[in-house]
Amino acid sequence: MVIYLRSGGRLRERLRPDVDQYTRRVEVGGSPTLREILSAMDIPLALVAFGFSDGKVRRLDYRPGDGEVITLQPPVAGG
Amino acid sequence: MQTPRNGIEERYARQVGVPGWGAEGQQRLAAAHVFVAGAGGLGCAASLYLAAAGVGRLTVCDADRVEASNLNRQVLYTPQDIGHEKASIAAGRLGALNPSIEVAPVVAEIDERTACGLVGDAGLILDCLDNPATRFALNRCSVATGIPMVYAAVSDLTGHVSFLRPPATPCLECFVPRTPPPAEPAVPGVTAGLVGAIEAMEAIKFLTGIGETLAGRLLVIEGAEPRFDVIAIAKNPGCAACGKPGKTD
Repeated sequence: MVIYLRSGGRLRERLRPDVDQYTRRVEVGGSPTLREILSAMDIPLALVAFGFSDGKVRRLDYRPGDGEVITLQPPVAGG
Repeated sequence: MQTPRNGIEERYARQVGVPGWGAEGQQRLAAAHVFVAGAGGLGCAASLYLAAAGVGRLTVCDADRVEASNLNRQVLYTPQDIGHEKASIAAGRLGALNPSIEVAPVVAEIDERTACGLVGDAGLILDCLDNPATRFALNRCSVATGIPMVYAAVSDLTGHVSFLRPPATPCLECFVPRTPPPAEPAVPGVTAGLVGAIEAMEAIKFLTGIGETLAGRLLVIEGAEPRFDVIAIAKNPGCAACGKPGKTD
């Protein structure tokens, strides 16, 4: 199946977008978790706090569905 | 001739006209006490707008002194303030901006031991902090006392804001992982200013009773695109701060 990962912030550099400026198309087998997908892409998990899709937070143990677009959020902690 | 009374009324004339605000909302602001945790980029912006709006009592808490590297975003300070206590300078500037309010500076570190004592009788906490550990300490105080907290954090051109009022809403630990950021974040003044102003708006909505706060929702601002998303956040039954440890959703 295919999922789409997007990020507009610092993560974008690691994501290497190929669909548009912010989005990467990723083909995955089975029904992996977000954590497994990011690990397979060599994206350090420390760079991702959570994702969101369809207006809901998706933690790293979330299993995206076919065609789902997940927006990744880095840890945001400054003030 | 302008008297002090009608001077105050005139000061707020352009905001009391907001539907639902009125004289009653203004009185609620005047009666409110807000604890501003951190007088950095977020705290400078948020407290400026709360003071200007007429929040009656502000406590500004920060243990740090002004440094040159703060001046890109901490708009209450000037180069002449370098080396001075942020809380004291901020309180002075805010008091000058609106002499009809009380602004109390507190020069102290916030941690799990001190947080609730510092918050005192405030009716609302503004999280304007710059690190996760202190945020989690403040969150524990909000959970323990039931005092609502406006959460905000910024990095690069990204900002997050929510209104936390556990147990009715998730607390911070329900959705923010304890993993620290890999490096000290870049914080441009525009990001801190924008997000700090939204924090002040959340506070004003809560205090006046107008509109809807971000309770149960997280505003995600991605300034680079630009894009604003509002996403639902859920309580984590196994949350170490507000849940029952051992339970998961």
